[in-house]
Order: sequence, then structure tokens, then C-alpha cells
Amino acid sequence: MSGLSLYSVQSILILDSQGNRIYAKYYQPPPNVLGHNQHAAFTSFRENELFSSLKKQEDFEKRLIKKTHKQDSEVMLFENKLVFYREYIDLTIYLIGDPNENEIILQTSFNALKNSLELILNNGIDKKNVQENYDMVLLTIDEIVDNGIILETDSQTIASRVSKPPTNDNQLPLDFDKGLLGAWGFAKSKLQERLQQGL
Amino acid sequence: MSTKTYKKSENQIAGELSDKMTIYQDCMNTFNELPVNAKRCRILISRLLRLLANGETFPESEATALFFSVSKLFQHQDDSLRQMVYLAIKELSSISDDVLMATSSIMKDIQNGSNLVKPNAIRSLTYVLDESTAFSAERLLKSAVVNKHPAVSSAALCTSYHLLPISETTIKRFSNEAQEAIVDLKQFPHSSMDNSEFYPNSTFISQYHALGLVYQLKKNDKMSLLKLVRQFAEANTLKNQLAKVQLVKLVNDLIHRDPQLFTQFQSLLDNWLTNKYESVQLETAKLITSFSINNSHLVSQELYISAINTLRSLLTVPRVTTRFAALRVLNRISINNPEKIMVCNPELESLINDSNRNISTYAITTLLKTGNAKNISSLVSTITKFIHEVSDDFKIIIIDAVRTLSLNFPQEWKSIVKFLIDVLKNGEGGLKFKNSIIEAIIDIVSFIPQSKELVLDNLCDFIEDCEYNEILVRVLHLLGKEGPFTSKPSLYVRHIYNRVVLENSIIRSAAVISLSKFALTKNDPTLKDSIVSLLRRIANDQDDEVRDRATIALELINASENKHSLVAEQLIQSKYYYDLNSLENKLTNYMSANDDSFKTPFDVSSIRKFTEDEVKAMKLKKKQQQAVGNNVENTKDAVVPGTKQTDNRIDNDTYQGANLQEHQEDLLETKYADELLSIEQFKEFGNLINSSKPIPLTEPEAEFVVHAVKHLFKDHVVFQFNVSNTLTNVVLDKVTVACSSEGDNQLEELFTLPIDRLLPNTEAACYVAYKKDEAFAMEGFINILHFTTRELDPETNEPFENDEGFDDEYEIDPIYLTAGDYVKSSFTGNFENTFAELPSEDVAVYNIKEDLSLQEITDKLILNTSCLPVSNTQFAPNDTNSHTLKLFGKSVFNGSKVALVVKMIKSSKGIALKAQGRGEDATLCADLVNNLM
Repeated sequence: MSGLSLYSVQSILILDSQGNRIYAKYYQPPPNVLGHNQHAAFTSFRENELFSSLKKQEDFEKRLIKKTHKQDSEVMLFENKLVFYREYIDLTIYLIGDPNENEIILQTSFNALKNSLELILNNGIDKKNVQENYDMVLLTIDEIVDNGIILETDSQTIASRVSKPPTNDNQLPLDFDKGLLGAWGFAKSKLQERLQQGL
Repeated sequence: MSTKTYKKSENQIAGELSDKMTIYQDCMNTFNELPVNAKRCRILISRLLRLLANGETFPESEATALFFSVSKLFQHQDDSLRQMVYLAIKELSSISDDVLMATSSIMKDIQNGSNLVKPNAIRSLTYVLDESTAFSAERLLKSAVVNKHPAVSSAALCTSYHLLPISETTIKRFSNEAQEAIVDLKQFPHSSMDNSEFYPNSTFISQYHALGLVYQLKKNDKMSLLKLVRQFAEANTLKNQLAKVQLVKLVNDLIHRDPQLFTQFQSLLDNWLTNKYESVQLETAKLITSFSINNSHLVSQELYISAINTLRSLLTVPRVTTRFAALRVLNRISINNPEKIMVCNPELESLINDSNRNISTYAITTLLKTGNAKNISSLVSTITKFIHEVSDDFKIIIIDAVRTLSLNFPQEWKSIVKFLIDVLKNGEGGLKFKNSIIEAIIDIVSFIPQSKELVLDNLCDFIEDCEYNEILVRVLHLLGKEGPFTSKPSLYVRHIYNRVVLENSIIRSAAVISLSKFALTKNDPTLKDSIVSLLRRIANDQDDEVRDRATIALELINASENKHSLVAEQLIQSKYYYDLNSLENKLTNYMSANDDSFKTPFDVSSIRKFTEDEVKAMKLKKKQQQAVGNNVENTKDAVVPGTKQTDNRIDNDTYQGANLQEHQEDLLETKYADELLSIEQFKEFGNLINSSKPIPLTEPEAEFVVHAVKHLFKDHVVFQFNVSNTLTNVVLDKVTVACSSEGDNQLEELFTLPIDRLLPNTEAACYVAYKKDEAFAMEGFINILHFTTRELDPETNEPFENDEGFDDEYEIDPIYLTAGDYVKSSFTGNFENTFAELPSEDVAVYNIKEDLSLQEITDKLILNTSCLPVSNTQFAPNDTNSHTLKLFGKSVFNGSKVALVVKMIKSSKGIALKAQGRGEDATLCADLVNNLM
């Protein structure tokens, strides 16, 4: 049974082409709301086993990159998990979910991840960009999946909730008067120009 | 800060991270600085989080200090810094102490923060609250759940969901609000995100979160779940596709609790199959097809067909994931009901060349399962082209599928063997891949005798040029085993001897054993002299293992001159296989006991032996179960494989788990037999002939759980009752089982061995022994468990001194000794011929009124007769009303064959069975035929 639990995403990873971590998050839902049937509890117990230590996680990531590098298949079953991935120039983004979850739902969530990262990172998805805008990447992922629950699937909505870094080091007090006057002056001159052209 | 140092710190984030301590120090300094430098703080937090994402961690004291400094940043009003602060709080809370101190700041934000940070604040509550403080957030969460802003409401619903295991009572208090949130279509306010360049679309995903939460709150209340489905199914209130899928899952949950509910959902499900969302179509099709595995009689034909059609249309969409998902479902169906998805074959064939290798492999394995006698050869030629292009993993999956195919369609062996030999010789691939081919070939040789000569000839060619020792050795073994019984054994001798000349010592040793088996060939007596002379030559080999083996073989061949000595035949061409589990067990005991420094030789006579046909039958049975096993995971107490199906869908990768369980079952059987034989009273009964699987006689959750095992001896029967005491503070003394015969007394009770004392949470066995006069005595027994209960003194863990205890009895299910207990599964390559040759015949007719499917009857028959279903008749098709089951077995006493053909016809009145049995032993045959049900 594809349990009724909302915890459908097990992990989100961003690995570079050698399989080193750029970002990694394994969600560990609280143990006793995993759904009422024993099997669900059993598999997730094993899942937790699989991801229980850093070593096991990293081994898993190494096996994963081996399997997905230069293999553009988008989706596969890997070690009894549903893996959605997309390889970019020098990194691969993964979303890993329960094998019994609805594949299309997980794909929707993965698309949200891909598309919103594309929106946020103006210059395309690559290792340098991700590392330079790590704060935005973190916030984006946080808006997509909340501890394993799919939080939002629309990339525009997600992007709109990610704040840009503060622009100034020191908060300069804005000169409102000057600003407004300036705007008024600019508008006036433009209007005059138009009127003259029209005449 | 000068421009230079500023630049430097900016660059750091791009490339390699600086070390942990530097970042820690930087964070501590900057976070505590006043005034707060928002930009720099946000950079440092992201650097800190990157460190944590890389798997670094901080000792508790440092983490707590960091947490404390981070929460100071709440003083700063910048929202973009605040969002980062919340991320840091979430990550650090798991490794630091005193996370509660951030609660008041967070709560302040939930009340007064901007719409941007409110959701972040709410979601961080999960990490700072615990059992004792959860209630304090009740009012805040409640008002956030009903908030008109979708992000705020979703955040509150998710947080409530996370908090469920911590404080369900708190969350329960606003279940009404949560239920309202399902209906409430929350739109983003138009002017909400002035400061962002992106415009949010309203996806109404909070419906999904609300539905998930409400389900958890009401999951024990079937009626209100039903109400929930009715409320949302008809009217178009659910706009979000995730929420709709969740509703399908809810229906799935309900019908698994009460299958009878399915009928009232039929029209609803039919609607969902054409829903505009593919995810809903998929989930509904999954539901219908998996439900019908166990409850096929409840699912109408039309609905099933439209489910298949939905899947079929999903196969043709451009989206990879959709095709993949639909294929997975079809593949699952193909395991049990390949005939149902034949309609999809054209689509499946076009997917063979899909660019996604996962999809093409799934398509091929599915096609191989739906394959029928007509299209196999064309299918096989398609894969021949395909297989060279994929990676080893996929090749192995395909070979496995071909192997199952060959067992299902033995008559098609020619094209399959051709394919396998072709990939074996020409395919590029590693050891694992080649090994899987050899395994498939070995299966074909042992289960399809006609194929033997062709396969062996080709294998001879293959070993001329093979790089893997492991595979060479296996092939040599196979040649030695099968070669002597072919029409021209001398051919193989030449090939095997070539190996002796050309290969390394490992292979030479294997070749020697293989050669020696040809010495006793009945077909060609002249061979013996040639073999002897070859072996003499090998006896001068430079490797001592090879020399030893050759010398032993020569010695044994010499011994065979003496017609009365059976040593040679037993050792060179062994007809028996030991029960390896039991052998291993005994040997370990023998080694560890070491009573008289190994002066008494190890006694093998007590170990069960199997003939080759029996071993084959066991293997085949396992393989058949394995095929079903992908869909069926035996529950712990399921003694009836294939009937107690749980609904877990397991993909091929996880099958190892169940295998292990099977192995444990085998071990358990051996253990029971060993325990039984070690008891003095049973020694005089002679050898144990057969034991049944444990049969549960109580509900698994009863206070005293009883399993029975039936052991057969030549003139005796012993029932073993395994009683386990699940109570914690009561011991049971003098536990016996009183068995009283239901009918005429064919059996004479000899004695009962009671359990003297059964401590809490332990299991022990009580035995009841009978003498039987007739060879195939059959009888039913009503059983009552008798015992004296005494309470335990919790301090000493002994019963109270003055507690006399009182006698009690407990009724357990009856046990039946049936004809099936005298039969064990056996294999035959050609059922029709064997059947026709058997002398005595019996026919019986049954009418079954119960509402059972043909598959259920089939499973029951296989279990009752303990015969092996042959010619792939263990699967009853769901779409016709008749089925013919072919069963084959042997008597446990003398190995006399018995074969059954059971024809079943299902009609509105029930199921009619006509069983035709033939056997070498007339009594056994008649008993079996007349006691099918």
C-alpha cells in the first residue's frame, strides 16, 4: 500500500560530477506516524538504517553518481528507491522518494526543484553558481520540501518566497525627499519630451 | 573593512570552504557584533549550513553557543536575514541544548512578522517544541491554519503534522479547523510579494496538507473517513492534484480495511480513471489492479479493463516518468496475470527502443512475461538485438526474465536455448552476467530434459574459450552429471580431457571428477577402459589436488569391478542429496562436542536424503514462489504461501529479504526434526519420514499461541505442539494437549510428553505419539490445551510457594492428518506421459459452494495435496471460468508416483471440481483423490 503518510520525499541531493556533496539532506520523519501498516514502518526502519550514518550516506551517493553519470534517464529505481535526477554541466540534482509513492507526484516536486533553482540562479545551474548563491539555494529547497513533506510545487510561488540577500552592509538612511523630487523631475522632463514629439 | 579583505571573504564561499574552526570563530564574532551586519551574517550562516550539509558536526557545547548567537540575530528586523536564521535554527536544534530559548522570538514572529517570514517561523516550531511545551503553540497554530494566506496555512498544517507524535492531543483540538482548511481555496493576495520579481500562482496545496493531517487524526474512525471521501469525491472541491491523489489513497486504505466497500466506490474509481491529472489516473489504476490480486471477485471486469486501458494510454505520453510509472504497474500485473495486459503488447513493443534504459528493460521483461507460445521466438530475436546495447545490470534482469519464460513454456526451449548460447558466446559482459546465463541454462537442462543434448554440445564449444574459472567449473560439473546419460557420451569425454591438458589446476581437478563419472556409463561400456587410461595419465599431474582426485577415482572404479560393492556407484554417481541445512548443523555439533577426540565417526545416516527429482521439485517450487514472491511477502505466520497475500508491492530488488526468510524456515524444520529425534521415546520409531510445516492452531494474538507440526514415522505419527506463553507474570505447569479423535479410531494413542514448566515469553514443545496400523491413516483430532497456571513472584521470578495453581483448559483448532501428509512434491519433465503410464486410477467430483476464486481453490489444492504443480498450472487465469491443475508427487514411504489432473469449472452456483488421479499405489491414489478438500 502506498501509505497515506505525507512523508514522501526521503532525500534531496546535489552532487558534483565526482560524487562529492554540494548539498545533501536526508529527511528523517518521526518514527510513529509513518502510516498504520507494519510494512511501512518496516521499510522506513530499513531506510533509516541505510542512511543512518554519514559513511553510509556517502557510500550511497558514490554508488548513485556511478549509476547516473552520463545516463540521462530522469527516473529510475535504485536500491529500492525512486530516484529522480537531472545532470547539469558539472553537477547533478537528485530527489529520492519511497518506491511506493506516486511517481508523478514526486516528479512534480522534482520539477519544482529544478525550475525554481533555474529561476533563482540567474546564470544557470552550475557548481560555481550554486556555491556562490548557497543561501538562496538553501531557502529554495526549504520552501519545496519541509522535512519530507512536499510543501509547494509551483516554481514561481517558491521563487517568490526566497528573499534576496540584503543589499547593503550598513543601512543607509534613504533620503525620501530627494528621491521623490528626483522622480518628479524625471517624469516631468519625459512628459515634456513626449508632448513635444507629439506636436 | 577594506575592499581587499571584503573581496577575500566573498571569494571563499565560491570555492573551497575554510575549515570548521575558522567558520565557527567567524560566526561567533560576527553574530555577536553590534550593529548587526545583515549581509555578512547571512553569508556566514549559509557557510555554516554548507559545512553541516557536508556532514560536519559540532560538539554539543559549541553547537549550543552557535544556536544562542544565531538567535540573537532576531533583534535585527531584516526579513532576508531572518529567513536564514530560521534555517540555522532548524539545523542546529538537533545538535544543541536549550533550543527552547528561541521559542518566544519565534512566536513573536508568528504573531507580528511579515507574510514572508511567518511561514518560516511556524515551520521552525517543529524543532524547538517538545511534549511539555507543545500546548503553548496551540492557539497560534490554530489561527495560522485558518489564515487566508496559503503559505501560512500550509506551514501550520505541516508543523501540526510533524508535531503529531509529540503531542497528538494538542493537534486534535483544532481538527475542525484543519477540516475547514481542506475546503478552503486559499489564494495568494495580489499585493503580497511586492519585493519579489516573481508572481506566485495559487496551487491550493494546503488542501493536500490538510487532508493528510485530517486523515492522521481520524484514521481509526472508519465512518468519518468514509464521510470524508464522500464529501470530496463528488463535488469539485479538491483543486490540488496532490490532494486528489491523497484522496485516492484514502479510498485504497478503506477498501483494504473492508473489501466489501469496493462495490460502492466502483463508479467513483471509474471516473477517476479519466481524471485530467495523470497522477490521479495512475494512482487509481494502481489501486484497482493491486486490489484485484486478492479480491478479484469484487472487481468488475469492465473496471479492470478500463484500468488497463488507462495504463495503456499512459504508456504513450511524452513524459518519461509517466511511462515509467505505468510500466511498473503493468510489470507487476504481468507476474500474476500476464494474460490481462496482452492488449498493451503493441505499446510495450514500441517502448523496447525507448531512450530511457529503465523503461526499455521494464518493457522487455513485461513482454517476456506476457509472451505466449506464438510470439516467443519473435520476442527472443528482438532481445537478441537489444541485449548487446545495455549495461550488465539490465542484461541480468533480462536473462532472469528469459529463464522464467523457459520454465513457463518448456515447449519453446529451442529458440530460448539458441538465444542464451548466443549471448553466452558472443555477449560482452562480466562474470555476474555470464553466470546468470549459465544458471538459466542449467535450469533448462534440469527441467526440460529434451534440451539436454543440444545444450551440452554447445557448452562443450563454449568451454574451449572461457575466461572465468567459476563458470568453467560449473559447466564441467554439469557435463559430468548429465553427459553419461546421453546417447554419445564419448564426445563429452574428449572435450573434458582437453581441459585437463590445457587449463590450470582448479579446472583440471573439476575435470577429473567429471571424467570419472563417465567410467560407469551404462550406454557405452567401452568408455570405462579409456577413462581408466586417461586417469592413469592424470595421476602423474604436477598438482597434488589433481593427482589425489585421479587416484581416488581410479580406486573407486576398480572397486566397481566387484558387483556387490555399491561404493563406487554411490560416490561417483550419487543419486541422493543430503539435506544441507541439517548436515551443516550436525557437523557443527559434532565438531564442537568432540567427546572422544573424534574416535566415533560422524554418522550420516540420521540426515535426511533427497532424490534428484525431489530436489528438483523443491527448487521448482521455490522458483514458482519466487515469481509470485515479488508480489507476495509471506507474513510471519503464513503457512500457506500464496494464499495469505499481504498487499505490499515489492520490486525485484528487495527479494533477497524473503529468500532469507525461506532459509530460516528450512532451518526451523531441521531444528524441529533434530529436537524430536533427540528424545529417547521416539528413537524406537525408526527414521523420521516426513514433517509438515508448522500449522497455527490459534489466533496469532491469543494468550497462548500454538503451532502444530505433524511428524510421520513408518508405523507411528507424532504431533508436536509448540506452545508459547505470551503472558508476562504467569507460568504454565504440566502443559499437555488432549487430542480426541473425531471419527473412527484408526490411530492408537501411545503416550504424551508434557511440558513441565512454561515460563513467560518462552516457547516449548509438547508431543503426542500415536501408533498407526494402516499405511495411510487419516483422521481429524479435536485438541484441548490443559495446564496449571501459577502466578510468578516478580522478585524471585519463581512461582509463589503456597500457590497451588489452578487447572485450566484452552480450546485450540483441530488438526487433521490427511492424504497430503503422505505425499511429497516431485518433479517430472513430461507430465502427460507419466500420467498415462501410471496403473491405477480414481475419479472424484466435488462441488464447492463457498465464494472462492479459482486461484484460491488452486492454492488450497496445492497445499492440501502437497504435490508440485507442473506445466505452469499453478496460476488460474482470472478471465475464464475454468482451469486445469496438474499435480505430481511421490509417496513419502516408498516413492511411488502419484499424479492428479483437477478440472475446475466456476459457475454462479459455485465451483465444480473433477479430480482424476493416477498412481502406482492404489490406496494412496484413492485416498488423495477422495480427500482433496
